[in-house]
Amino acid sequence: MQTRFTAKQLSDPDVAHCEKILRSCVHCGFCTATCPTYVLLGDELDGPRGRINLIKDMLENDRPATDEVVTHVDRCLSCLSCMTTCPSGVNYMHLVDHARAHIERTYRRTFEDRMMRALIAFVLPRRRLFALSLAPARLMRPFLPVLRRIPGLDRLAAMLALVPRRRGGSRPSMRAGTTLAGEGFPAGRVIVMQGCVQPALNPDIMRATVDMLVRHGHEVVIARGEGCCGALAHHLGRKEEALRAARRMIDTWLGEVKRAGVDAVIVTASGCGTTIKDYAHMLREDPEYAGKAERVRALAKDVHEFLEERGFGPTARETGLRVAYHAACSMQHGQKIRKAPRALLEVAGFEVVDVPEGHICCGSAGSYNILQPEIAGALKERKIANIERVKPDLIATGNIGCMTQIASATSIPVVHTVELLNWASGGEMPPVLRRGLASLEQGAEKSTAQVRESAAAAG
Amino acid sequence: MATMLKPRDEADTARVLSWAVAERKSLEVVGAGSKRAVGRPVQTEHVLNMTGLAGVSLYEPGELVFSAAAGTLLNDVEAALEEHAQQLAFEPPNLSRFLGTGHKPPTLGGTVAANMSGPRRIAAGAARDHVLGLRAVTGRAETVRVGGRVMKNVTGYDLCKLLTGSWGTLAVLTEVTVKVLPRPEAEATVIVTGQSADEAVRAMSAALASSVSVSGAAHIPAVLAARSAVSAVTMAASSVTALRIEGFRASVRARRETLLAELKPFGPLETLDGRTSARLWGEIRDVSLLPADGDNVVWRLSTIASKGPDVVRNVSIGEDAEALYDWGGGLVWLVQPSPGDGGAEAIRSVLERTGGHATLMRAPPSTRGAVSVFEPQPEPLASLTRRLKAAYDPHAILNPGRMYAGV
Amino acid sequence: MLKMPDIDKKVLSRRGDIVAALAGMLPSDSLIWHETEMRVFQSDGLSAYRQMPMVVVLPKTTEQVANVLRYCHQNSIRVVPRGAGTSLSGGALPLADAVVVGMTKFNRILEIDYDNRCVVAQPGVTNLAISDAVGERSFYYAPDPSSQIACTIGGNVAENSGGVHCLKYGLTTNNVLGVELVLINGEVLRLGGKHLDAEAYDLLGLLVGSEGLLGIVTEVTVRILRRPETARAMLLGFASSRAAGDCVGAIIAQGIIPAGMEMMDRPAIHAAEAFVRAGYPLDVEALLIVEIDGPGVEVDALLSRVLEIAENHGAVHSRASASEEERALLWAGRKAAFPAVGRISPDYYCVDGTIPRAQLSHVLEQMAGLSKKYGLGLANVFHAGDGNLHPLILYDANKADELEKAERFGADILKLCVKVGGVLTGEHGVGVEKRDLMPVMFSEAELNQQQRVKCAFDARSLLNPGKMFPTLHRCAELGRMHIHRGQVPFPDIPRF
Repeated sequence: MQTRFTAKQLSDPDVAHCEKILRSCVHCGFCTATCPTYVLLGDELDGPRGRINLIKDMLENDRPATDEVVTHVDRCLSCLSCMTTCPSGVNYMHLVDHARAHIERTYRRTFEDRMMRALIAFVLPRRRLFALSLAPARLMRPFLPVLRRIPGLDRLAAMLALVPRRRGGSRPSMRAGTTLAGEGFPAGRVIVMQGCVQPALNPDIMRATVDMLVRHGHEVVIARGEGCCGALAHHLGRKEEALRAARRMIDTWLGEVKRAGVDAVIVTASGCGTTIKDYAHMLREDPEYAGKAERVRALAKDVHEFLEERGFGPTARETGLRVAYHAACSMQHGQKIRKAPRALLEVAGFEVVDVPEGHICCGSAGSYNILQPEIAGALKERKIANIERVKPDLIATGNIGCMTQIASATSIPVVHTVELLNWASGGEMPPVLRRGLASLEQGAEKSTAQVRESAAAAG
Repeated sequence: MATMLKPRDEADTARVLSWAVAERKSLEVVGAGSKRAVGRPVQTEHVLNMTGLAGVSLYEPGELVFSAAAGTLLNDVEAALEEHAQQLAFEPPNLSRFLGTGHKPPTLGGTVAANMSGPRRIAAGAARDHVLGLRAVTGRAETVRVGGRVMKNVTGYDLCKLLTGSWGTLAVLTEVTVKVLPRPEAEATVIVTGQSADEAVRAMSAALASSVSVSGAAHIPAVLAARSAVSAVTMAASSVTALRIEGFRASVRARRETLLAELKPFGPLETLDGRTSARLWGEIRDVSLLPADGDNVVWRLSTIASKGPDVVRNVSIGEDAEALYDWGGGLVWLVQPSPGDGGAEAIRSVLERTGGHATLMRAPPSTRGAVSVFEPQPEPLASLTRRLKAAYDPHAILNPGRMYAGV
Repeated sequence: MLKMPDIDKKVLSRRGDIVAALAGMLPSDSLIWHETEMRVFQSDGLSAYRQMPMVVVLPKTTEQVANVLRYCHQNSIRVVPRGAGTSLSGGALPLADAVVVGMTKFNRILEIDYDNRCVVAQPGVTNLAISDAVGERSFYYAPDPSSQIACTIGGNVAENSGGVHCLKYGLTTNNVLGVELVLINGEVLRLGGKHLDAEAYDLLGLLVGSEGLLGIVTEVTVRILRRPETARAMLLGFASSRAAGDCVGAIIAQGIIPAGMEMMDRPAIHAAEAFVRAGYPLDVEALLIVEIDGPGVEVDALLSRVLEIAENHGAVHSRASASEEERALLWAGRKAAFPAVGRISPDYYCVDGTIPRAQLSHVLEQMAGLSKKYGLGLANVFHAGDGNLHPLILYDANKADELEKAERFGADILKLCVKVGGVLTGEHGVGVEKRDLMPVMFSEAELNQQQRVKCAFDARSLLNPGKMFPTLHRCAELGRMHIHRGQVPFPDIPRF
């Protein structure tokens, strides 16, 4: 596309980077086809191409963000489905991230908006604070229908509605500063990232990941000093906050590397993984951290990536369970990890089915389901309908946000992929399955028995 | 007795039209005259006979394109194409026997002007889907070229579509350029005997929805099947539902087996070999199985395939409806007794409910003058039709009133 | 510079009233009138041309469309229809005094009728979404323009879109059975339906490809086909485009009509491969992708014959797809070839002309010469089966005169197409892009006659003015009969 930036404007490295991105867009419109908000609303303004145009216009004219621009950029999920579809290689992610920072700098939001964002940015990244806030949040459940109707409080209601009914996870979360020795032949030393909301919402994920890695010979470090990866702040446009969080993570992890070497930093939430892999870009202008960020980027691996690389092998248990694999946007579009999770589940003996319209977001998108409850709700409904069409026994995915979103509207059990892989490779059955699927367990044990029988018969 | 004008070429044609326009003389435009008795009766002082414009002007088999003057007889066109193992895929019929105008083959121009297509229309498209370009003289006496000689052409409005099927009321065609396709190496037909029209439509729908690639789907009720010259059909002594497959020999063999398996649940099956198949489809194409001209009228209905039998049931006067179903049930040649309006009112009201249209194809001039021959159009459509007529032929020189009053 | 019709200042001066009136007929999310928001509608896929509209509406029902058009007609306000805005000829380019009517909120599939093998859809449904909707029963909608992921079926109707598979399965016009149409004066009518053939004049055939000049489509009924039992694609690499072109002719001469037959030249191959990584050979001058579909036994036999023919014409590379996934991958590169070229050049200008296939080598040679003359790079993508050529002229919009040079280069190519017996546009439409070249192909009488057809639908030329025809005559003027110059009326019957 033709761009009109002055030399002065281009002397700002962020603007120069945006200009390059804008030039690569040829306005073909393919991106609109796979954008969830465009598919729902049918309005060019709520599609990537329209947003690119709005952002271009704003940046070229050095304008502060206007109500209109903010409305449409706020509606963007940052699902990055457009990037997968774009044949010209437009880096929409960096463009919209910069636009969000520009909005944060130049636009004065309403009081309610500012309060909600501040609340999210303050509470969610702080593990202990978030954990403590869940109980009082649960007490508010009966008041939700009323809250929803009060203008200005609908988003607060949306946030409260996402809190799972019962305490997530069956075991206390693993403590920071712990190192667990690997069993059997040593396979290396890895850090498993804790995450910010994940430990409180579902500590089973961490437990399953650690158990599995330990069983396969890895020494597992749960590092002290980890905060939030910064994705939340980054997507709210709070650039400095995000960079501070990134630096903190980098320092923590490189500290561990220095202490005893680390083969990989394993991330179990694909939403975080995408941001961590972007640290190098985010900190490229920071002379002290640019190189460090690059090192961290080389170490960061989504748990599926890691298992695939390490050659996770076939298991003895054929559960016969039908699993709908929900590909999180950050997983399939952000990190471009598409085949590994399915392949791993198949090797683990599950019947894997794809979800129709699988490229369309479930509506979680970080804090999107709090800030844009209507669109998030419509996308959630659509996703659930698509999942239920394939009649799965359970739903597996690799991101806590999706798990929370989807579990809130279906009775089909929702697990993290790694919980299933852990179970299949000798670990314990995921608690959520045990709770909801006693009959399935019988069925699973029956089929395990069948496998043993036939193996014996083949002798 | 109307005077006959017979131009030798396009320039002559333009001169005639200039004169006719200047002098306000209306013309009946005629090719070989096979379909002269179709439409509202046209009264003109002069007849414009286009058979003088004959001859192939371009034929490039490797480019799949063929051009000939509009008055070229279809037989000559088909002979030229056969030499290169090609054909007009839309299978144009020869309706001269059915319409009682003798045995003359139609002209290429007349075929296009009436958008006449045969059974293969359901798979390969109608005449209008194969016309690439036309040269014509409009009712303003202007010589125009529409379209071109290439398949992919969206330059300007698709006026080839407007002129095809316009029954000579907008312009006089002088040259026709068509897309031609390879002639299939082999053909075969599977028939199901003894079905009712409803059962037949289900069988045909199943066959057309399969991956076998059917190129003809027709149902012939017993009373019509009895008139066939194909012994396998007459010997069945019942209704016959016919499904045709064409293509390379090995492909036809394999697909025949698949089709037989597909149709097994529908009734007793038989296969017809290539030659027999061709004869049967020729009869269907040329509507030879319908009773001869007599005290009956014949309507050609186009409706939603799955509703064909319903329509026939609801419009038929009398017990034994003689109806030939083609295009999977979507094309019905319906015979009605002729007294009165020949069933016009019933047909119009049923089709309004169901969807589709009907054209009175064969009837005495008195009936043709009294009822609407072509499907009546609701108002916005009717005035649009009149405005387009005025755009091409403001003085109503060409076949005036052939389709509708004032068109 | 592109000359658009003069702005109607009276209409513009009433903008406030017009916006208010439209607001009264539409829900709030269907009206867009802020400048920053209207800006995203100022261009379609022909991004070199931008024009702010007066106001944009995104109606949701046929009634809303009819009300808007009736209002515009009564107040002599111009209307520009818009689908997904992927047109490559500027068909949806707004006018400063026009209302853009975007149909993208008409995005539902209304009915799937397998018994009669058709789908009824709203015009804003994308082309690919129709195939997706009937995919579970192994059906599909055949015309597949490369932008099918995003382009709408309504837009396809307006442009008579083609695509890779139209060689065997026809263009949009051969696959549309019916539409609901709103005329400029707000009248709603139906053309066709689930039955075949028109009852009188083929107005449906006339409407398809009319580029939004005759009416706005609010519903479309299309034919769906059963997916062939098998489909396999084959890559054939040649050391010259002449060899590739001869091979194409030979395939057809043997009575084989492939489902698709596409050609790419070296620069196009490289760009597409960078995006898709399908394994295109990077060392050939011309690449053919030939697809054969049908029953399994037929496909394998024909593919062997095609390979034989290719080898007889000197193919230096050949590879047949072994799985459905591979077949899709081989096509993905070709289908994304245009925008993939965005990786090797900041901008590109896609030309669309058709030539008789036998002229390909000659035309390619001439184009290579023009490329040198204008100093602009060229990548070629070609629907080899039907002669529809897509030269992609590479330029940089940020360099002062390159757009203009690219356009002159494009115009030269199109004139050449007409000269060798082809046409100005094979599937992208005339729009604004080729409007001024129409006299190269049509005589004045022919252009006038086309405009008379327009007058029958839209006598005041309110729908999409400035598109398709270079000069507008007033309808009354065109309606008047005039005898040809030099022709003298003569009372005697001509004798031959």
